[in-house]
Amino acid sequence: MRQTFIDIALTLMVVLLQTTIAQYLAVAGFSPDIALIWIVYLSIRRGQITGTVAGFLVGLVLDLLSGNDGMLGLAALSKTVGGFTAGYFFNENKTVQTLGSYRFILIILSVSLVHNLIYFIIFLQGSGAHWWQAILLYGIPAALYTAAVGLIPTFVFARRALL
Amino acid sequence: MIQRLYEFVFLFKEYLVVGVLLAVSVTLLALNDDPQIRTIRTVAVVSVGTLQDAVGIIPNYFDLRRENHVLRELNLTLADEVNRLREARLENLRLRQLLGLKERGEFGFVAANVIGKNLQLLRNTVTLDAGERNGVRADMPIVTENGLAGKIVATSSRFAVAQILYNKDIRVSAKIERSRVDGIIRWEGGSTLALQDVAKTLDIQAGDVVITSEYSSFFPPGIRVGVITSARGAEGSLFQSVEVRPAVDFSRLEEVFVITSIPDSDRIALEHRPRE
Repeated sequence: MRQTFIDIALTLMVVLLQTTIAQYLAVAGFSPDIALIWIVYLSIRRGQITGTVAGFLVGLVLDLLSGNDGMLGLAALSKTVGGFTAGYFFNENKTVQTLGSYRFILIILSVSLVHNLIYFIIFLQGSGAHWWQAILLYGIPAALYTAAVGLIPTFVFARRALL
Repeated sequence: MIQRLYEFVFLFKEYLVVGVLLAVSVTLLALNDDPQIRTIRTVAVVSVGTLQDAVGIIPNYFDLRRENHVLRELNLTLADEVNRLREARLENLRLRQLLGLKERGEFGFVAANVIGKNLQLLRNTVTLDAGERNGVRADMPIVTENGLAGKIVATSSRFAVAQILYNKDIRVSAKIERSRVDGIIRWEGGSTLALQDVAKTLDIQAGDVVITSEYSSFFPPGIRVGVITSARGAEGSLFQSVEVRPAVDFSRLEEVFVITSIPDSDRIALEHRPRE
């Protein structure tokens, strides 16, 4: 129960980081999706259901804060799928090994690609723009950058695994 | 029967959870114009805005020294410019009186700090620490000392959310300062904006300054939008492909001014009235 409260508090902190600090990490207009990294972490650490629910709640808060009319639920939907997808890599006996190895980066990258794919397909509906162009120009670079930022927690867990 | 149902739920609980949450997300997407949803949004902006306000001091603190230096220099430049503008304004008034032209409306400014950026790929917005109690309303333009930054899209009593020019949903009616050629500013991704609907035959050159035009219902005319970096005729099209570098550096957006101009509802109603 205590762990659940800690997770909720940390999730709120991550949302706050995403909306305040992430802008300072922007490179060539791409900001890392810290919230998605956290959702992937929760999925691997606590399981698929926790990751899915966290994805939904984080996405919903980000949707509410975006202020854009007409797209409430989009981040919730894409991050729910992100959390669910990451949950397939949950293995209770290998949590620290997964988080401290290149596998964590690959999981973040693949989840981020799935997330961006869903996001753009829905977001660009009716706009006349091609979703595959958006994926090439934004989805893939943004996913790569998010995965690169995922190296930071990976190093932390790799050190912890060694100790 | 109940035992089998329980076993089914237990076996497929992950799929049931994701199914329910996806259904809720899709329902939310379908209910976006609901007034209750707007209320929930306002509550969320206020709650997180309060936290962002507290956290926002951290990066500013480290930047304070540099910022102070830049502001002093800017102050000197602006003081000089104010003197020159004062003289120009007096001259302008005299000339307008001579020509019998109507005086342009003057707007108030509300200063606001950027306390949050929501960079969701193509839907980039910023959260400001000024809201309805400061006179900020939806559709008001936001500017910096360099030029146009965006438009307010949602407000609460203490906070506001604004779309910046790097947002797929924003359109700005603009023109070239030198040749008075009109076009529409849009963001199609990347670090530049696009000036659209400009015929190939019209006079546009790299280095031309783009400003807001009188045709805009929301943005006052004459605000600097950016500088043209390239203009070329697209093959098989009647229009030019024009790239504009924004006047505002959005990666360093910390303070903005909200122009407290309310869009003229009479004009908007007339422009949107169905043709008889």
